[in-house]
Amino acid sequence: MSRSLLHLFLALLTGLGLGLAYSWFLSPVEYVDAAPAILRSDFKDQYRIVIASSYLSTQDLARARARLELLGDADLIAELSAQAQRMLASGEPFNKAQPLARLATDLKQGYASAAFTPTPIPAFNTPQFEVTPTFVEQGGETTEEPTTTPFPTADFEQTPLAPIIAETSTPRPTFTPTSGPGAPFTLAGQETLCDPALQTSLMQFMFSDSRNRQSAGVEIIVTWNQGEDRFFTGFKPELGNGYADFVMQADTIYNIRIVTGGSFVPNVAAPICTDPNGTNYPGSLLLTFQQ
Amino acid sequence: MIKIAVALAIGMALGLVYGWVIDPIQYTDITPNLLREDYQVDYILMVAEAYQQDFDAETAARRLAILGSESPASLTTSALEYANRNNFTPNEIQTLQSLLTAMQTYQPQGAGSQ
Repeated sequence: MSRSLLHLFLALLTGLGLGLAYSWFLSPVEYVDAAPAILRSDFKDQYRIVIASSYLSTQDLARARARLELLGDADLIAELSAQAQRMLASGEPFNKAQPLARLATDLKQGYASAAFTPTPIPAFNTPQFEVTPTFVEQGGETTEEPTTTPFPTADFEQTPLAPIIAETSTPRPTFTPTSGPGAPFTLAGQETLCDPALQTSLMQFMFSDSRNRQSAGVEIIVTWNQGEDRFFTGFKPELGNGYADFVMQADTIYNIRIVTGGSFVPNVAAPICTDPNGTNYPGSLLLTFQQ
Repeated sequence: MIKIAVALAIGMALGLVYGWVIDPIQYTDITPNLLREDYQVDYILMVAEAYQQDFDAETAARRLAILGSESPASLTTSALEYANRNNFTPNEIQTLQSLLTAMQTYQPQGAGSQ
């Protein structure tokens, strides 16, 4: 009796094993209606880029957030920033990573910043000349003299202006002069940060525009005797839109060039700090730039 | 013998139920062509919205290509049909229509050269 029970039990186990093998390996459940959260990581990256590019067009922050949440990231802003930094590190141009940084910045501040609308630059017809060499005989010798023929210019028709129905006098707003987006950044402050807990010596940057708003997308080039690094503000929005940092080595002199707006700060080095035991260690620097 | 066959069958049935229903294989690295239809359409809508900003047909076609082997125009047509069936806003339909026009006239680089 017990022997036959054992046989039954073994048959049940064998059947169970066969059933599992068939359902897991031979004919597993096929996914056809999957959610973006289980996309492969490179496709998730592509999905994020499309979300950010779409956001540049629509400025619909709530929808962009909802779309990002589909990807199941624990921290939407950190993931966007990390991807932007990965793209820059792999040599992708800034304008490809910029939508990600922009979306991260806007998600952090909770509202859409000024819309990015590339304004078409009106094309002006510059006078052009066609140079035609002509040959002039002078005393038996032939010399070449260029003569210029202007290209024909296109005629433009003036679009009739709409008739003015009524003329009302509207007081104009007073003009407050402010620095434009291309105004240079100048070094407004340099602060030494001594924290023995920090493992690295950081050159930290903080950029603000003329209205004291932090400036994202400022390009910085740091050069030293063995190399050069190039980076942008705004890729760590958790630390501020105008923030960027760079890891310094002790006993190295750095030159800083602010590409956006043009500015140069030479001979910057990691400061020397002293801990309570009297031991020296390289500290960090906070460089504040103001437009 | 019959009892053993019945036990084997019951075991197999239990195994199938467990493997297909209770604890099916979890996929984690799927490709976008396996996304549910509404997610695919929303992705195409995002591509269309981005196209409204940069008017870069090459980039739009490349972005659509991850959805499978269908042509970008065919994918956009399907998305437009879905949008019409599911009451998308006129603005969204117009955006998809613009992308469709671009994809119908889009020629991949080098396609015309022999």
